[in-house]
Amino acid sequence: MHQSRLFRRSLSCAVLAALSLAGADAFAAKVSRLTPPSELFASGNAKGPVISRFMQGQRFDLQATVQPDAGLTITDFYFSVDGTTTSPASLDGNFQLTYPFANRLGRVDESASDATCVDATSGKTTGKSGCKLAAGLPGNTVVVSQRAYANYSAGVHTLKIIATQSDGSKISAEGNFEIVAPESGYTKAKNVIIFLGDGMGATHRTAARIMAKGYAQGKAKAPLTMDTFPYTSMVMTSSLNSIVTDSAPGMQNYVTGNKANNNEEGVFPDDTLDAFDNPRVEYLSEYLHNLQGKSLGVVTTADVFDATPASTAIHTSARGNGTGIVDQFLDDRAQTGLTVLMGGGRKWFLPNPSNSVSPQPVNGSQRRKANDYVLSDDIVNGWGVARGKLDPERDVIADFQSAGYAYAPNNAGLNAAFKNGVPNKLLGLFAYSNMNVAYDKIAGRRGDSTVVDAFGFPDQPLLEEMTDKALQVLSKNKDGFVAMIEGASIDKQAHLMDTDRWILDVIEFDRAIAVAKAFAAKNPDTLIIVTADHECSGAAILGAATASAAELQAKPNSGTGIVGVYEAAKFPKYKIAADGFPQSTLIDNKMLIGYGANADRYETWLPNLYPTLDTQQPFPPSQSPPSPSTRNKDIGYFVSGQVPGDQAVHTATDIPLSAYGASAAQFHGVIDNTDVFFKLASAAMAQ
Amino acid sequence: MNGVVGTIAKAIVCVCAVFSAPLHAAQAAGTGTQRVPNLLAVRKDLGPPPKGVADLKFHDIFKTPVGDKGLEASATLLALDGKRVRMVGYMVHQQPAPSGAFLLSPLPAEISDEDEPLADDLPPSVVSVELADAANRSVPLLPGLIKITGVLHVGAKADAASGRVSSVRIALDAPVSKALLGAAPAAPKPASKPAATAAR
Repeated sequence: MHQSRLFRRSLSCAVLAALSLAGADAFAAKVSRLTPPSELFASGNAKGPVISRFMQGQRFDLQATVQPDAGLTITDFYFSVDGTTTSPASLDGNFQLTYPFANRLGRVDESASDATCVDATSGKTTGKSGCKLAAGLPGNTVVVSQRAYANYSAGVHTLKIIATQSDGSKISAEGNFEIVAPESGYTKAKNVIIFLGDGMGATHRTAARIMAKGYAQGKAKAPLTMDTFPYTSMVMTSSLNSIVTDSAPGMQNYVTGNKANNNEEGVFPDDTLDAFDNPRVEYLSEYLHNLQGKSLGVVTTADVFDATPASTAIHTSARGNGTGIVDQFLDDRAQTGLTVLMGGGRKWFLPNPSNSVSPQPVNGSQRRKANDYVLSDDIVNGWGVARGKLDPERDVIADFQSAGYAYAPNNAGLNAAFKNGVPNKLLGLFAYSNMNVAYDKIAGRRGDSTVVDAFGFPDQPLLEEMTDKALQVLSKNKDGFVAMIEGASIDKQAHLMDTDRWILDVIEFDRAIAVAKAFAAKNPDTLIIVTADHECSGAAILGAATASAAELQAKPNSGTGIVGVYEAAKFPKYKIAADGFPQSTLIDNKMLIGYGANADRYETWLPNLYPTLDTQQPFPPSQSPPSPSTRNKDIGYFVSGQVPGDQAVHTATDIPLSAYGASAAQFHGVIDNTDVFFKLASAAMAQ
Repeated sequence: MNGVVGTIAKAIVCVCAVFSAPLHAAQAAGTGTQRVPNLLAVRKDLGPPPKGVADLKFHDIFKTPVGDKGLEASATLLALDGKRVRMVGYMVHQQPAPSGAFLLSPLPAEISDEDEPLADDLPPSVVSVELADAANRSVPLLPGLIKITGVLHVGAKADAASGRVSSVRIALDAPVSKALLGAAPAAPKPASKPAATAAR
């Protein structure tokens, strides 16, 4: 770590005694974390390309974890950039500060006398429930912050934290960050639409093309809509702390321009226990809402608290904090411009007074104080956001409605919301948790609603219908919009290695893209990108079955015996129904998929009648098998897994990105997922 | 089932029907059936409930389709309030092990109240089952499907230790409670392990 001691002092006898007992290294004064993350701080390397980057005026928090000498405390601190004390964000542009600078400074530390939070023997923090700091830090550690910093000067800047100890000595450390100006040569994109196929790698796209369009003589008979997009990049997807990302940084990296740790959304990591106080980075939605007045639309087939939708607008280090996440969607709408929110997840919106008084209504609410949020003064003042409240009793649907959002509980309700004209704002909550997948929704529309009935939601819209409605609402804003539209269960079903279900979800996703492409054709100041947060399952198209559908059913443990490779695979021929989906996925000589990042499973090559239990779906039919490791156990062919647990996992494989519309030509080559943010922002800010 | 899936499902429904029954049977009969007391064991033929006892299924607990503002108790559930019922389900694997009560789930499930309470993956139809005169007795974990009989109570009650609120509870019949407490503890975990590699 690149840091220096500005002033040394003589240690008192008492302190020296303490050091000798506990070990000098453990208690030597230092800055153990400086945010934004930088290689300058981490390794002393002041040169790129590994550096945190921000657009001009994009807000972010400065933060440091300071460990004073033993027996001392931190009495004061300040941050400096390029040798100058940091000041409030410039009043240029649309950033209007309404609070005194000092109120944007914050510090978090433990009370030294608190035996629960600081172990008396080791002198280290315990990290126990109710404490403030993570475990293992010296008990006098302090986390200091300056919230909502912004810089308008393009280039690399040196960041320094200077902290004063209680004996007057000072400790400091240096890092750096880069400010990026909008790139030139862009065509203005008033509207930005991000299609995020969760877990969708190249295999998932190809499989959907083979099934939905068919091949003959080696050529696809027709492209998917996403295939028609004229520009393509390959995207590197790693997170701040792993080559393999989860969906939170996988999404948020696209819309903050910076890497986050796995499980974290719109924040950098820190050393406090509060999941909602991490150093924030301004989202594309917030940046463009503040700068240009754009609206935000979030559309997903998942629970709306899920990592991908939340990583467009929510700031938390714990992606599972559903109560606080859905509250923040509403509370910070003035910051994000949230205008459309659609998906599943009704359970987080229902009032639950159980944390205060009984009786609790039998409404299935999952709201709890333990995953709600309350923000500190520095965040509230710095970012101008709502403080939040631990309020499981809150009726969030009613609050959305009071704020002017039309509420649609099902597809009929969605259509009804448009009967008297396009609403100004829209909330759609079509399922208790994740929505049903296309495979089961389509079955319901074709007359067998066994699964959707069992889930309790027989009338759920398809993603293309949600997309159409979202674009109608969002396009009412003359200043444009940012929309994130997610095909969520491509990933969820790939985790479960339920081949037929994820392929149909890619087809559903592509049909939604077609809706947006038609919108962009009429509104050429629209940029659409189709991408993924990561690949899931290491899916691979092995070939096709050498057996008929009847033979597969008669012998579901055929295993490798019926896998036709190379020319034996030929060209599987699926028949597409009028609704755009295959009449059946169980055809003679069907396409076969293998998984390179697989857990143990029993393979039959047959469609599964019921969806496998989704651990985020708390209202499953009782026939759902618990996991791929038990599904088809008595009839299938055992495939040994290569990863622990019950599900296939994400991989670090680069994923394809396709672009269409204004500034689409800027997407080419192999790029990092954070690069996408600067391209989207440059397109939105082009003249 | 029509259409996609349609044709498929019809074609394979027999297969699935065949293997879904053995799936459950295998779990019920799997590692540790011998530890399940007879009063709670699920045999191939469940048979009719005892006299004065009505069967209650998990999918009968709430009205379907789900209401615009959330779940609502079904008429079936409300009609059985205060009466003896029989339910079949999985004992939720709780950490730490519960005392005097356990949760019955329609699917194998595992929870840890010591973890940070993030998204709760338990189905809302989970039923709290209270043992008779066993407030401080640790409840042995039974694997696979079990059947229970007891008196149904509809209405919220919070568990003092976990803070979990149960809207549907069953006061276990005394003989069943006694048999359960006499079962060998430390049975193997259920098949479901949601935490390790849940979809992310």
